[in-house]
Amino acid sequence: MDAFYASVEQRDHPEYREKPLAVGGGSGRGVVAAASYEARKFGVRSAMPGALARKKCPELIFVKPRFEVYKALSRKIRDIFFEYTDLVEPLSLDEAFLDVTHPKKGKNSATLIAREIRKRIDEELQLKASAGISYNKFLAKIASDIKKPNGQYVIKPEQAAGFIESLPIEKFFGVGKVTAEKFKKLGIHSGKELKEASREKLRKHFGKHGMFFFSIARGEDLRKVDPQRIRKSVGAENTFSSDLLNATELDQALEDICSELYRRLVKAGILGKTITLKIKYHDFIQVTRSRTLLLPMQTEKEILQLSRELLHQHREPEKPIRLLGVTFSMLEKKGILPGKQLRLDLTF
Amino acid sequence: MKFIVSSSLLLKQLQAISGVLSTNNTLPILDNFLFELGDSEIKISASDLETTMTSRINVDMAEGEGSVAIPAKILLDTLKTFSDVPVTLDIDSDNFGVTLTAGEGKYKLAGQNGEEYPQVPAIENSASFTMESDILFEAISKTIFAASNDDLRPVMAGVFCELSSENTTFVATDAHKLVRYRRMDVKSEESANFILPKKPLTQLKNILSQDDAPVEIEYSETNAKFTFKNIIMTCRLIDGKYPNYTAVIPAKNPNKMTVDRQPFMNAIRRVSIFSNQSTYQVKFKIAGTELNLMAEDLDYSNEARERLNCHYEGDDMEIGFNSKFMVEMLQNLETEQVMLEMSEPNRAGLIIPVDSENKDEDILMLVMPVMLNA
Repeated sequence: MDAFYASVEQRDHPEYREKPLAVGGGSGRGVVAAASYEARKFGVRSAMPGALARKKCPELIFVKPRFEVYKALSRKIRDIFFEYTDLVEPLSLDEAFLDVTHPKKGKNSATLIAREIRKRIDEELQLKASAGISYNKFLAKIASDIKKPNGQYVIKPEQAAGFIESLPIEKFFGVGKVTAEKFKKLGIHSGKELKEASREKLRKHFGKHGMFFFSIARGEDLRKVDPQRIRKSVGAENTFSSDLLNATELDQALEDICSELYRRLVKAGILGKTITLKIKYHDFIQVTRSRTLLLPMQTEKEILQLSRELLHQHREPEKPIRLLGVTFSMLEKKGILPGKQLRLDLTF
Repeated sequence: MKFIVSSSLLLKQLQAISGVLSTNNTLPILDNFLFELGDSEIKISASDLETTMTSRINVDMAEGEGSVAIPAKILLDTLKTFSDVPVTLDIDSDNFGVTLTAGEGKYKLAGQNGEEYPQVPAIENSASFTMESDILFEAISKTIFAASNDDLRPVMAGVFCELSSENTTFVATDAHKLVRYRRMDVKSEESANFILPKKPLTQLKNILSQDDAPVEIEYSETNAKFTFKNIIMTCRLIDGKYPNYTAVIPAKNPNKMTVDRQPFMNAIRRVSIFSNQSTYQVKFKIAGTELNLMAEDLDYSNEARERLNCHYEGDDMEIGFNSKFMVEMLQNLETEQVMLEMSEPNRAGLIIPVDSENKDEDILMLVMPVMLNA
C-alpha cells in the first residue's frame, strides 16, 4: 500500500487531501508513523521525530493514528488476496508476498492479477497500491518500489542481473543501517560489488547471512512464500514523556511495559525463551541486552524479574533513560505445549 | 633445588589435583603446577583462582628449598609414559629451567618463578566441622546432579549446606527437581550455611576415598577448605542467598505409590526411548495396584506402554514426568523400593526411599511434573 496510514486518513478526511500529513509524531516526543506523499516532498519520512518533521515542513498536519481502522482495512485487503491464492505471506499491515504460480482465479499471469488486485483495492476501498512482480521474493520486493505510488513493475529473469548490480547495498534484503555500514567498511556499496565478493569473505564477515547475500547477489532466492510464517518476536516498549533516572521510577515503568508484553503474549498464546531489554538513553544511544533461558518464561513475575535484572546490571546509572523496551523471542506456541516442564516456585 | 621421587607416586598426586586446572585461564601461570620444596616433602598445587588443590608427597631425596611453577600438560604427558621409575627433577634457581631425568632419558622444560603463582587466600574467622570421607562422597553424589547448569541464578549452580547441632543438610535444585540429603550423624556446634560451587565438589567426588577417613571442613563467609589425607582443597563459596527450598516441599500428598525401584527405573528407561525427544515426557497412569507407563513421539509414530505392579493409596491419577529426571533420581537411590508421593498432576512429586538400612541418612527428592494434554 502506498503511504498506507496517511492515505487512509486522507481518504476519510477530505480536508487533508493533497496536503502534507503525518500520522503520529504530534505529541512532544513521538515519531512519525507514516507520511503522505505531499509530506515526503518536504523530506518528512516515517520514523522521523515529530519535532524534526515539523521543522522540515512547518504546515505539516499531524493526526493521531487509528490502528483499529488500519487493521480492519488490512484484513479486507488480505481477503482480496485470498481470492487469488492461498499463498499469502503478510510482511506488515500493508505489505504481503503472494505466490500466484497457480492462481485460484483470474488469468494465469502475475502482471494481470496484480493489475486486477490493485484495481479492486482502488474501487472497493478507495486506496492506492503498488506491486512488484518477479520470479522470487527478493526481486519482487525490489520491483514493488520502482513504480511507487500507484504503479507496478516486472523484473524479468534476463533483467535481474542488471537490477541487482545497480542496487545500493542498503536496498538488499536483511541489510539495515548497521549491516550497511559493515558492508561499506568492506568496500561493498552496490550489488555489483556484492557479487564480486567471494563466498568465503561473506561467510567470514556475516556468517550464515553471508551465504544468503551471496545467493541474492546472483538473483537466487529460494525462500518460499510462507502463509504461516511464524512471528519471531513479541515486544512492548515505551518512550517516556520525560527522561527517567530514578531506579524506582524505572522499575515502575518496566512493570507497565512487562504487563503489556505479558498481555500480548497471552493473547498470542505464546511463550519465549529469550528476553531482550532495550535501553535508549537521553542522547539516543541505544543498547540491548538479552538473556536466554533453557525453558520458556511463563509468568509475568518472572518476566519482570528478569527485565529488572537486565536493567540494573547493564544500565549506566548516571544517564537518564528515554525509552525502555522488552522483547521476547525464541517463541513457542502455548497450545502445542503440553509437555511443558513445570517449575518450582522458588522465592529468592 | 633438586628432588627425586617415584614417577607413579608423583603422577598419581598430580592427577588427583589436575582436575582443577582450567583450559581457559586468564593467568597463564595457572597452566602450571606449583612445586614447593621443603625438607623431605614437596607440596604441589593446581588452581583456577576459584579453587586450589594442594597435595603433599614425600620425596626420596631433596636438596635446597624454594618453589617453581612447571607446565602441567608436558609434565603429565611425560610422567604417563613411564612405568614406575625414580625421576629426578633439577631446577635451576636462576632461570627456573627444569631438567627431568628418568632412566636413560633427559628432558628439559622452562619453569617459572613459583613466587609469581597466586597465593591461596587465608581463611579468616573460620569455623569447622568434620565428616567421614565416604559420607561426604555420598552427600555430593546424591545432590550434585540436581544442581542447576543455568548461569542465570548462580546460587542454584551449587550445593547448599546447612549445619546445625542436630544434623547437616545438603540441598541442590534447578527449579525442576530438588534433592535434600540430610545426615543425622554429622553435627556442628554452630549453626551455619553456605553454598559450595559444583566444580570443586566434582573434584572432591573424584578423589574422596570410600572409607571413614576424616575430612575436616573449615568455612568462612567467603571460602571453604577441605583437609583430608595429604590433600587440601580451598574454594570460594557462591555468594548470595539460597532460595527458600523448604517452602516448595509439599506437606500434604494424599496419593502414595510404592514400587520396586529397579524394575520401575528400567521400565521408565525403556519407555523413554519412545518419548518425544525434547520433553522426554512419560505419562504415569496409576489406578488400583497398577502403574501404566506411556510415552509417545507423534512426529515419528513411536509409542510405548508398559505395566507394573505397585502398591497404591489414593485417587486414580494421571501425571506426566520428564523421564530423564526420574531416572537420574532413582539411580541415586539404593533401597529396593521407593515411594512416589503426589497430590495433583501439576504439583511436585516426591520420591522417598522405603525402608532404608541407613538410619543416619534422610533423603528426599522432588520433581516437578510435565503438563499432559488436556
